[in-house]
Amino acid sequence: MDFDFSDDQEQLRDAVRKWVDKGYDFERRRAIVAAGGFDRSAYGELAELGLTGLYVSEDHGGMGMGPTEAMVTMEELGRGIVLEPLSQTLIASATLQTHAPADLQAAWLPRMAAGEAIVVLAHQERGARYQLNRCAALANESGGQWSVTGTKSVVAAGDQADAYVVPAMANGQLALFLVERSASGVSTQAYGTQDGARAAEVVLNKAPAQLITLNGLVALEEAVDIGIACVCAEAVGVMDKTLAITVDYMNTRKQFGVNIASFQALRHRVADMKMQLELGRSMSYYATLKLHAPAEERRRAMARAKYQLGVSMRFIGQQAVQLHGGIAVTDEYIVSHYFKKLTQLDMTFGDTLHQLGEVSARMQETAGVFA
Amino acid sequence: MDLAFTPDELAFRDEIRTWVKDNLPADISQKVHAAMRLTRDDMQRWAKILGKKGWLGWGWPTQFGGPGWTAVQKHLFEEECALAGAPRVVPFGPVMVAPVIMAFGNAEQHKRFLPGIASGEVWWSQGYSEPGSGSDLASLKTRAERVGDKYIVNGQKTWTTLGQYGEWIFCLVRTSTEGKPQTGISFLLIDMKSPGITVRPIKLLDGECEVNEVWFDNVEVPAENLIGEENKGWNYAKHLLAHERTNIADVNRAKRELERLKRIAKAEGVYDDLRFRDEIAKLEVDIVALEMLVLRVLSAEKSGKNSLDIAGLLKIKGSEIQQRYTELMMQAAGPFALPFIFEAMDAGWQGNFPGGVVANAPLAANYFNMRKTTIYGGSNEVQRNIVAQTVLG
Repeated sequence: MDFDFSDDQEQLRDAVRKWVDKGYDFERRRAIVAAGGFDRSAYGELAELGLTGLYVSEDHGGMGMGPTEAMVTMEELGRGIVLEPLSQTLIASATLQTHAPADLQAAWLPRMAAGEAIVVLAHQERGARYQLNRCAALANESGGQWSVTGTKSVVAAGDQADAYVVPAMANGQLALFLVERSASGVSTQAYGTQDGARAAEVVLNKAPAQLITLNGLVALEEAVDIGIACVCAEAVGVMDKTLAITVDYMNTRKQFGVNIASFQALRHRVADMKMQLELGRSMSYYATLKLHAPAEERRRAMARAKYQLGVSMRFIGQQAVQLHGGIAVTDEYIVSHYFKKLTQLDMTFGDTLHQLGEVSARMQETAGVFA
Repeated sequence: MDLAFTPDELAFRDEIRTWVKDNLPADISQKVHAAMRLTRDDMQRWAKILGKKGWLGWGWPTQFGGPGWTAVQKHLFEEECALAGAPRVVPFGPVMVAPVIMAFGNAEQHKRFLPGIASGEVWWSQGYSEPGSGSDLASLKTRAERVGDKYIVNGQKTWTTLGQYGEWIFCLVRTSTEGKPQTGISFLLIDMKSPGITVRPIKLLDGECEVNEVWFDNVEVPAENLIGEENKGWNYAKHLLAHERTNIADVNRAKRELERLKRIAKAEGVYDDLRFRDEIAKLEVDIVALEMLVLRVLSAEKSGKNSLDIAGLLKIKGSEIQQRYTELMMQAAGPFALPFIFEAMDAGWQGNFPGGVVANAPLAANYFNMRKTTIYGGSNEVQRNIVAQTVLG
């Protein structure tokens, strides 16, 4: 039982933080949002730091790191509300590495690690909300070649990615496929999301596909759980920075002749924000450290963690806006962008209500960190 | 980063688990698991069993006869006791006054007071709050006047928990009115058999007399009962608070009570009502999050590496959780938590409890009783002031 970071992990944190502070300031972010919400060169800078290969084994040109390093990285990207979806790269690379045949791994993992190829998870469908076992997309095999037909919604950077990890029903069973964006029968309709990033509807019409695994639900649940751990860590970074910005503001903004930080009604809100931040941070650690637990235990842990983070994000986001007052509802001021990021993260990989239902359904007689 | 306890820590836990299983009297643990009324004898019996083993002062260093456990070992000990259904050790002797005596008392005082605390023979009470001094404790007025080799104590303490059983009481008393209120306070140990002391139990909303008023009318206290220096008592009391970091969250008991809540909800037929069950689920997440918070504080104590500003959150969250599980248990029983039959809260009562399940008898009383948790030990609003101070400056 030890929650200290190793020296290597601290160095990784410093490196990412330095890049966010110096290389990804608010003005650059604003320009990227205006240009569509995704910047390939910024993504390339993440690759230069080695982050796109964080989960990729050294054999395939990556860093072969684990969940704690992913958490540290995502926290720091959260502090800078970075738009480029590194979490998608972490999900896709881990999924391929664990479940894909060797030739598929060899074809994609080195290019993903180098930042040359972007692969994202395209799993959401209009009829399924957050349910992973509901899938309308169909896969067919003919002459040894798979193809997938269906529509996937709100796919991160969907018109920028080079390929998708796609769940589809194959002979009545959920399977996972890799579909290239350049393949025939693939069309995208891109748009901005709440937080200023980019997503797309991805329509697959008999699109050629490569099988990752026929054991698709297991793999998809793992993929989403990696995503939940990423989102939890990212949320901690966003919340940490949101609170810091709010504290700075309260210590400089004057009303009635004094700093508004002197008012007890506001101070107690800050104490409650600190509570939600630390509960959230604790549960982000918990999610990360449970990623390699047996499936049932892991799923229960992720639901608990994401529920807590959902509660924490909503509270901290809303309170930060309220404590700032009018300035916080302007587009010009930074805190509105943190608020929107927090709102979006709650609805990513299962919102608070969905996760509460998961916790509720998975309850056992005993409960605790180790049960 | 690692969630697992070390093999040594797990072996330690097994050792504790076995010992508690072999030594905790079944009649006591049954009462605790059913939240039935505990008598003075129940509490004292368990304290003396621990005392005989040398574990009543489980947080004590070896030089004072304690086991010298690490922060993690203390936590595991508390967890095993709580999960097995041991009564909460009355903290005033072994947890609260003993560390102050060790840190600031002289050798004579160590010899005189610590053995009786370690064995569980002597029942200690706390004399801090006064009718006019609650959250603003430093405004206390109980006066101790030095006359020759004695102090003459006059005044009134209140909310003295289980003071009706108290044999000794440690008090904060005013020895000076100069300067800031905090600088005129001394830490005095008083024999409760002294002439001039009157103890009057206060009946509370749950029908129990858990707390007392204690009056001091020209009570003579030998000057050798002063801990440390005169007018430094406030600092000693603050030291005491530092000894109560993770213990105050009481997360281990919360885990046990969550299990009881689920049992009650099943018995009352509301466990499958999703609206009710979701409330249990929220509490479950709260408890896991609190446990993680506690483990983070323990880890920081273990490594001494990172300074954590989160210990102040433990009391707030822990107390809110205590209130919540008692509230949900009562709500689970619904109308059958309304009958308030004082004797039915005693183990072994033979009457017919309305609604048929005697397990419901103490639920309302437990809920009423737990309202204290967000008030005592520094109200949660005072705690928020402290947390805000660390964040905002």
